[in-house]
Amino acid sequence: MHEFAICQNIVAAAEVEYARVSPPPRRLLRLRVVAGGLHQIVPEYLTQAYVVLTSDSPLAGSALELAILPVKAQCRRCAWTGQIELPIFQCGACDSFEVDVIQGKELRLESLEVDTP
Amino acid sequence: MSTREIRIYQDLMGQNEVWARKTRDVIAQKRLFMINLIGAPGSGKTTLVENMVSHLAGTLRFAVLEGDVATTRDAERLDALNVRVSQLLSGGACHLEAKLVHAALIDFALDELDLIIVENVGNMVCPAEFDIGEHAKIAVLSVTEGEDKPLKYPLLFREAKAVVITKLDLLPHLTFDLQACRDNIRKVNAGIPVFEVAAKRNEGIDAWIKWLATQRRAVAESATVT
Ligand SMILES: Nc1nc2c(ncn2[C@@H]2O[C@H](COP(=O)(O)OP(=O)(O)OP(=O)(O)O)[C@@H](O)[C@H]2O)c(=O)[nH]1
Ligand SMILES: [Mg+2]
Ligand SMILES: [Zn+2]
Repeated sequence: MHEFAICQNIVAAAEVEYARVSPPPRRLLRLRVVAGGLHQIVPEYLTQAYVVLTSDSPLAGSALELAILPVKAQCRRCAWTGQIELPIFQCGACDSFEVDVIQGKELRLESLEVDTP
Repeated sequence: MSTREIRIYQDLMGQNEVWARKTRDVIAQKRLFMINLIGAPGSGKTTLVENMVSHLAGTLRFAVLEGDVATTRDAERLDALNVRVSQLLSGGACHLEAKLVHAALIDFALDELDLIIVENVGNMVCPAEFDIGEHAKIAVLSVTEGEDKPLKYPLLFREAKAVVITKLDLLPHLTFDLQACRDNIRKVNAGIPVFEVAAKRNEGIDAWIKWLATQRRAVAESATVT
């Protein structure tokens, strides 16, 4: 359900960026978004929201491409870094729960692929 | 057809972040501590705030921002207790955004306050995604919801700086495993304080108020240094 709220931000940011492209493209083909695993985005829900939210915008008909970054943590006890399996935030070496997230919170508009005249 | 890829590399929450930063600046300047209460509908957020009123008297001067989708019932409940309260309507959205919070915040006489309490829209998912410039997101979980919730909503419990478990008075009627709940919180976010309260019986509030007072003192002292 939070896919809809996140998608509103994606569409708002993409519309601004798309309007800036010079020379004005014929249309937007693809939008690339990167999201950290902590957001637990269900790709199909995000795609559905994207279709609805862009239906009467200049972005209509474009494809949303989502890349999900795995959650990575660093241990405060032994300095181990590595991927963790949600929802357990635990060191892969010493089993401590005292870890800091070093990847997985991202939410980024990566690029636009346009059809240029 | 010729295609061209244009690199953007931009934070998607950038617009929200602009307003969150303005709020952070204001509360730092005014030496306020600001919390954002996040929990499921009916988890006991407003009841907790109601119960805090008498305990905060003489300790911290506070105001409340009440987030709701469309109704003003929660703000009316607090208004009845003579609390400084402002109603925020999210207009259908499942969470509060930083801009809305900022606009209401600066309407308070901030020099007369120590603590800002925001009650977010009842929802464990979306509000955790949106920074509103607060110092601390607080996860509010009632015992009727089940001890597995920290594992099901890891973003909220990971982002939270403290957890308040509510409705402890109902434990005798439930199969809720309190120790398992504490363990689940620790697996997601080791080391954050967990407060266990029964607001209806006025139990467990003191430790929570004490933590708030300590946090506010730390904010005020760090503001003095810089
Ligand atoms: N037994 C018991 N009931 C409680 C307690 N705290 C809240 N409740 C009840 O739980 C219900 C919901 O409480 P609220 O405080 O309105 O919950 P809320 O989280 O503010 O709800 P929304 O703002 O609608 O999301 C009410 O019927 C309260 O009386 C408690 O400590 N013990
Ligand atoms: Mg409420
Ligand atoms: Zn370790």
